[in-house]
Amino acid sequence: MTTSTVDTRRGRMVVDGLLRRRELSIALVTVALGLYFTFTTTGFNTGSNYHIIAQYFAPWAIIAAGEVMLLICGEIDLSAGYMFTLAPFVLAVFVNNGAPLLIAVLGALAVSACVGIANGLIRTVLNMPSFITTLGMFFLLWGIALLLSGGSPVQAPEGGALVSVLGGARWAELCWAVGIVIVMQVVLSGTRFGVYTFAVGGNPTGASEAGIRTRRVKTACFALTSLLAGFAGILDGIRVGSFDPTNGGANYMFLAVASAVIGGTALLGGSGTVVGAFIGAVALGIVHEGFNLAGINANAFNAVLGVAVLAAMMLNIYLSRFSRAGT
Amino acid sequence: MFGAGGGALAAGSLLTACKGAHDDEAGATGATGNFPKPGERWKFVFINHVTTNSFFAPTQNGIKDAAALLGVDYQWTGAEDGNVSTMATALDTAISGGAHGIAIALTDNTAFKAGCKRAFSRGIPVVAYNATAAGNYALAYIGQDLFLSGYKMGQRIVREVGSGDILVGISQPGGNNVQPRLDGIRKAIADAGDRITVHSVNTGAEQAAELSAMEAAYAGRKSAKGVYAVDAGSTAGIAQMIDKQGLKGKFHAGGYDTLSDTIEGVKSGALDFTIDQSAYLQGFLPMLALYLYRLSGSLVHPPEMDTGLTFVTADTVDPYVKAQSVYEDAKGKRMLSMPASLPLPAPLTVTSS
Repeated sequence: MTTSTVDTRRGRMVVDGLLRRRELSIALVTVALGLYFTFTTTGFNTGSNYHIIAQYFAPWAIIAAGEVMLLICGEIDLSAGYMFTLAPFVLAVFVNNGAPLLIAVLGALAVSACVGIANGLIRTVLNMPSFITTLGMFFLLWGIALLLSGGSPVQAPEGGALVSVLGGARWAELCWAVGIVIVMQVVLSGTRFGVYTFAVGGNPTGASEAGIRTRRVKTACFALTSLLAGFAGILDGIRVGSFDPTNGGANYMFLAVASAVIGGTALLGGSGTVVGAFIGAVALGIVHEGFNLAGINANAFNAVLGVAVLAAMMLNIYLSRFSRAGT
Repeated sequence: MFGAGGGALAAGSLLTACKGAHDDEAGATGATGNFPKPGERWKFVFINHVTTNSFFAPTQNGIKDAAALLGVDYQWTGAEDGNVSTMATALDTAISGGAHGIAIALTDNTAFKAGCKRAFSRGIPVVAYNATAAGNYALAYIGQDLFLSGYKMGQRIVREVGSGDILVGISQPGGNNVQPRLDGIRKAIADAGDRITVHSVNTGAEQAAELSAMEAAYAGRKSAKGVYAVDAGSTAGIAQMIDKQGLKGKFHAGGYDTLSDTIEGVKSGALDFTIDQSAYLQGFLPMLALYLYRLSGSLVHPPEMDTGLTFVTADTVDPYVKAQSVYEDAKGKRMLSMPASLPLPAPLTVTSS
């Protein structure tokens, strides 16, 4: 047991060393993207534009903070995007039944966490692949969101300090994203739970032989991901002022997973950082906003976006090789 | 396009050459026709809820044509999937990107209020097109007046059916885009003495299922004297049903929009009418409205423009059937041949107290 723990720690240090460089390279790519749009568009480097970029990436970064944990332990949650969609309507149900806003928020978050626990239990107890488990949950949550909303938008709560804190104030959503990323990074790299997460993903057999309750760790990660996705949905709905059944969905889930992978998290588990995923989300946000600002029309937008993401990732790989060769 | 531009230039130089009694600045720098060229090239941004939906392909043609006519730029942006958050962000981007005018489909009651207010405070005019919502801020709404179109349809149903039961298919009961039409029909029937009973049929949003839903509803109420619908898919479903089951002439029928099954149904006489809400004009007119409002320094205020009261009937359906055009399709002809004689339009009505 002692030797394997030492092995895990040593493994982690090596992995961390590599990742630090990966984060550096994606950070450089992000800066390069920012410079590109600074020179090619007008109004990119303004406070209001930074705010718009933050609107884009804050929800992706919050969902990604959970997905990173899951990816590290070798799992994925495809249903997170629809947890994002559903949570605001759960909140609305609580409010409509007379609950004060704070209780409604806590209730919606509790429901979100329970969805994650259900994902985790189906995955670990029935040993069903997380891809299928969470794909089923994906459709289920989507359907429930449509049923609860009746297919049409519901007005979000307005006014009051709590609404301001929960996305109503101008930079609130970004502050939450940054805070969550810091907390989750500390959990991942500074607590026993974080060490277990890496161990479960990097070497499942070794981890369980070392006495780590792998099922419990994975289920906790599923719960965290759903909780964060639901919370991000509530923040975003309150910011926009409307709970809409078309918000979130598969697109947000893919963007969150993409943020994590762009930020250096391995799709097959064992390595990753929350900070890297945050930078990945910022890069994606800059690309989205930059091309909109440049006036790209909707039909061409995805093609341009695709080329930009591919080019940025190629540059990222080139930079990370370069930095590895340099040290 | 180039021909028109050249003509405009020639007209411009002619006007500069000989000034009339009024010493105005018409055509001096000749951007288009009589209008002077603004100092910078204007860009009008269209925010849409389903940017890649085929319904809006003619809308984009209208925008493109107006942009060429007026010498301005445009951007077609928003969300692909109706995502209100993405639309609100696109609105913010348009404002901070210095758009000279914004046209937005107000598909949500609250999400765009703050953005539109901000646009006005920065001197950016906003018009609503295709969808509008009470309590929002826009200079005018350019699109179909949904309730009014339903009311006119209801009046027509009263004339044709007289009394008895009718079925009305609706893809999404309660939906902002269709429910007001059904409400309009009910109101018109009530105003005419309530001798018709409306049975609404929830058809769902998938076209294949819409046909099945209409068939099931008709099978359950064969006494119906009219079968109508308030959305594009259900209307096409009725046309298919009549064609498939050979029901032509058994009841009155009609509905909305210009899907190909619907147009064929009107042509064959299966449907009495369909209502065209002119997707093309929903792009073209907002461009004109924004342009004139800006050019006149806010003096020429855009009027409400209802694009959606064109009843397409057997008499007027031919141009829809004949040729692909930019006015009804994604691509096609800009110039179509003019019919030799025109059917009389419905007589004018004047609102009185």
